[in-house]
Amino acid sequence: MISPFIEYTEVIKTLRINGRTFRTRFKAPKIASVVKAGQFVMLSIGEALDPLLPRAFSVCDVKDESIELLYVAVGKGTSRIAQMRGGEKARLVGPLGNGFPIVGKLEVVWIVVGGSGAAVLPILTQSIKKAGASYRIFYGARTGGELIGFEDIVFEAATDDGSAGFSGNVIELTKKELKQTRPDRIFVCGPMPMLRAAQREFSDVKETYISVETPMACGIGLCQGCAVKRSDTDDYFLACKDGPVFRSDQIVLEE
Amino acid sequence: MIGNSVNLAVQIGDIKLKNPVMTSSGTAGYGSELADYIDVGALGAVVTKSLTLKPKAGNAPPRISEVNGGMLNSIGLANIGIEKFINEKLSTLVKLGATVVVNVAAKRIEDYVSLVELLDSQEGVQGIELNLSCPNVSEGGIEFGSDLKILRKIVNRVRKICKKALIIKLTPNVSRISEFALAAEDEGADAVTIANTYVGMAINIYTRKPKIHNVTGGLSGPAIKPLTLSKVFEARNAIRIPIVASGGIMNWADAVEYILAGATAVQLGTVLFTKPDSPLDVINGIKEYCLGTGIGSVSELIGKVEADIAFSPHVKK
Repeated sequence: MISPFIEYTEVIKTLRINGRTFRTRFKAPKIASVVKAGQFVMLSIGEALDPLLPRAFSVCDVKDESIELLYVAVGKGTSRIAQMRGGEKARLVGPLGNGFPIVGKLEVVWIVVGGSGAAVLPILTQSIKKAGASYRIFYGARTGGELIGFEDIVFEAATDDGSAGFSGNVIELTKKELKQTRPDRIFVCGPMPMLRAAQREFSDVKETYISVETPMACGIGLCQGCAVKRSDTDDYFLACKDGPVFRSDQIVLEE
Repeated sequence: MIGNSVNLAVQIGDIKLKNPVMTSSGTAGYGSELADYIDVGALGAVVTKSLTLKPKAGNAPPRISEVNGGMLNSIGLANIGIEKFINEKLSTLVKLGATVVVNVAAKRIEDYVSLVELLDSQEGVQGIELNLSCPNVSEGGIEFGSDLKILRKIVNRVRKICKKALIIKLTPNVSRISEFALAAEDEGADAVTIANTYVGMAINIYTRKPKIHNVTGGLSGPAIKPLTLSKVFEARNAIRIPIVASGGIMNWADAVEYILAGATAVQLGTVLFTKPDSPLDVINGIKEYCLGTGIGSVSELIGKVEADIAFSPHVKK
């Protein structure tokens, strides 16, 4: 395993995608050279004490010597990050966590994402293509307007209000498709209620992997804050070190 | 005279620290986690997370929550247990050149004794820090640390079998920490760590649920620095043994403040989460401060705040 880096770096640019969804690109030559799909970085803004803790983001895309993060600006941290302009100082620690498993040639992978979980699509589809495997993407959002478009990425949409694609949530859509055909693996990325539903509904696809999001102070195994219940013992995994990607049957996602 | 070298070494019991900067228990894992980012051998000491006799799974999540100026945690002493630490982690730390202080926690006095017995024979361990102050476990922890009689008994019993430097980590959740520091000194402790976290709480107003599963957690971060600073100053005026200060240090200037208030060494905690390489900046900053102000040895600064305690309604000699 490659040791993570601390990169004292700066923003290249921030783009507003739609509503409160933003993409921010950072110079990060070291991280960009080794990051894998599903891994994350911890981001701090300059030397600011507020917000105090760094924020965890899964890496969305890698280009040349930079990485891009995609996020919805909802809290204090993400709202501040969305205001970051080119040249502004930042500190990145990464790449962190295990990432999605490497897929075999000719495997069929279904990628099921919801909300800002879609951030993983560019880097994940690239890595699946590179492995010589194929994929289908199921992407859920509340409305069609909240779906984010990515260059060269085709997805099957599900919206809560029925304004685009399947009317209903993305788990229902995937479940319907599972009746027709079965993939070798399912990769899931999205908000906690969606992850719980995926665990329940895709339980007969053993190779279902979910990327969990938990409160995290450090992201590097120091604080032990990001506990995720193990299914085999009364113990916990750490999302930052053992995850954030787990095979669905290995963890219990508590309410 | 402003020279170009500074002696950063300080002494805690029998341990000679190459500089006064340590990690705070529970914020640097077992030390090796930090080694991905910095040379842990460059630190004054690495303090491990609390070890217990048996492994502990820790508390249910959510275990942490950020608040203004700090964070709450309730990890619940999750750890691999003393045996696994000695067999699997200690040698790594020694190989990395770290000065190792092992923090231990227990529910019973006998268990503190057993833990210290196990560690006292380990060559790679330089010091032992007793956690008598964890706010997040139902037995032991803070309960022991806020009862003078029990604290005396534990320190007394452990001191009898402990040949290594013995540091007692105190809780700030008492009205006069100096009484507890004095009790630890009386019973033979080599130093006290002031202090652990403050009991705190945060509520999600939409779900009406606490943001921490165990309802309350320990508050750390820059918000607590003035609180703990006054406690270090209070204790400095009551005891002679060294004080290790721990509470909201974010940079070298905070560390110097603590040293002036009476600390011999400092521990970095929450700042490691935001900036794992911060100890190097703090060490370097202290050195530059000494160089710039004509101080030849950092130990000359200990307790050198020019405060007239006659003005203080709280601190007594």
